[in-house]
Amino acid sequence: MALKIYIVGKDTIPSKVSLGAGEEMDIVFVALPGEDRSVAMDVELDAPGASAQIRGLYIATGSQKVDLTFNVRHNSGGCHSRQLVKGIASGSARASFYGKIYVAQDAQKTKAYQENHNILASEKARIDTKPQLEIYADDVECSHGATIGRLNQDEQFYMRSRGIPEAEARRLQMISFLAPVAGLLPQDLAEKVYESLSQCED
Amino acid sequence: MDKVLLKIENLHAGIAGKEILKGIDLTINEGEVHALMGPNGAGKSTLSAVLTGRPDFVVTEGSVTFRGKDLLAMSPEERAWEGLFLSFQYPIEIPGVSISNFMKSAINAKRKAAGLKDIAPGDYLRLLKEKMAMVKMKGEFAKRDVNVGFSGGEKKRNEIFQMAMLEPVLSILDETDSGLDVDALKIVSDGVEALRSPQTGFIVITHYPSLLESMKPDVVHVLKGGRIVCNGGMEVAEKVQSSGFESF
Ligand SMILES: Nc1ncnc2c1ncn2[C@@H]1O[C@H](COP(=O)(O)OP(=O)(O)OP(=O)(O)O)[C@@H](O)[C@H]1O
Ligand SMILES: [Mg+2]
Repeated sequence: MALKIYIVGKDTIPSKVSLGAGEEMDIVFVALPGEDRSVAMDVELDAPGASAQIRGLYIATGSQKVDLTFNVRHNSGGCHSRQLVKGIASGSARASFYGKIYVAQDAQKTKAYQENHNILASEKARIDTKPQLEIYADDVECSHGATIGRLNQDEQFYMRSRGIPEAEARRLQMISFLAPVAGLLPQDLAEKVYESLSQCED
Repeated sequence: MDKVLLKIENLHAGIAGKEILKGIDLTINEGEVHALMGPNGAGKSTLSAVLTGRPDFVVTEGSVTFRGKDLLAMSPEERAWEGLFLSFQYPIEIPGVSISNFMKSAINAKRKAAGLKDIAPGDYLRLLKEKMAMVKMKGEFAKRDVNVGFSGGEKKRNEIFQMAMLEPVLSILDETDSGLDVDALKIVSDGVEALRSPQTGFIVITHYPSLLESMKPDVVHVLKGGRIVCNGGMEVAEKVQSSGFESF
């Protein structure tokens, strides 16, 4: 199934999705600087072979708030879900990620992965990440990883020592961080994402 | 009279409240190669870091003039534009940034600071190829992320490649020769030789005399306990080799 791209605040992301046998969902969302953004999705995997892939990125600037909530429920066995969300909070922005993976008792052979990686690009920004696994089946392959980091100072100094200005060094770091998701977007949108990084204040 | 490139006077600097450099005086004229030797922990890399403006080091006293300008007042990038280069003792890995993009950003930033337009893509590719060939780096490295997964020797070669690309006026080589095989060592000395001119200068930090034999430094300094304790010619390097740093 084709990749669906949603610009948060502009396109309407389905809040509830139920997938039956062999049905697939593959979406990428983009939350750009500007108004507060929120995404809340409930995804139900109801029959074997259903698969859901949710990827997305956010860039939060100024006093913006970004709230992301994903509730992925493996009600049936033999389903596959994958989440990858990357984001940067700068200025005095606040971002939160709440991601729950539920695997029902008889949902054997489930594969469920979730990753949420965040960068705090300023002192005042705040990021909250709450990954939750609720697994009742035993024959499953599940993993989740959540990180909140800062831009690496050694990398920055190395680049600056070669003459790359500090702001440009930070931009290169942010681009490389977002690339695994931004690389999925059409070129004009990816460029818009990268351009909006200039609004990130430390 | 010789033209002064770098003049360090009574430089005191440290990190995390601890003084490491305790009054350094050092003058480098255009066209000179200076060797800097000294025991582990003497402060050689600290001096390199302070000269290139690493933000976590603090200068508490003294002055540094580079090409007639107050070096310490400049940002790290401004120092690079002015022609200062450090080959890092421990080069940094930058995941997600290719060597090619990294160097293009560096070159264009310097051009912008000088009021020039971006380098033409074709010219850039030619330059990249020429310099990679010079340090015998395979073309595929241009696409690889900076230093990620490089062997120790490949990292050092990448430093020399960057030096060749940026054509600095003053290059500091912080143990660029450590851990290199004979062929790679030759690449380093050839890289230095190619840049050497009556206008450029070098500070070569090393623990071994072999690189110095090919580079023939004008002056050899010994740094110990944050101070320069000896200035001389190649005989100083030989004395270090034969009897260590005890006697300095
Ligand atoms: N970030 C730091 N925090 C605390 N002390 C530091 C830091 N960096 C360096 N030092 C200390 O400063 C002193 C000088 O270190 P430096 O790296 O300049 O030595 P060096 O002469 O380059 O040694 P080597 O030959 O081993 O490379 C050492 O005692 C070191 O432990
Ligand atoms: Mg050192």
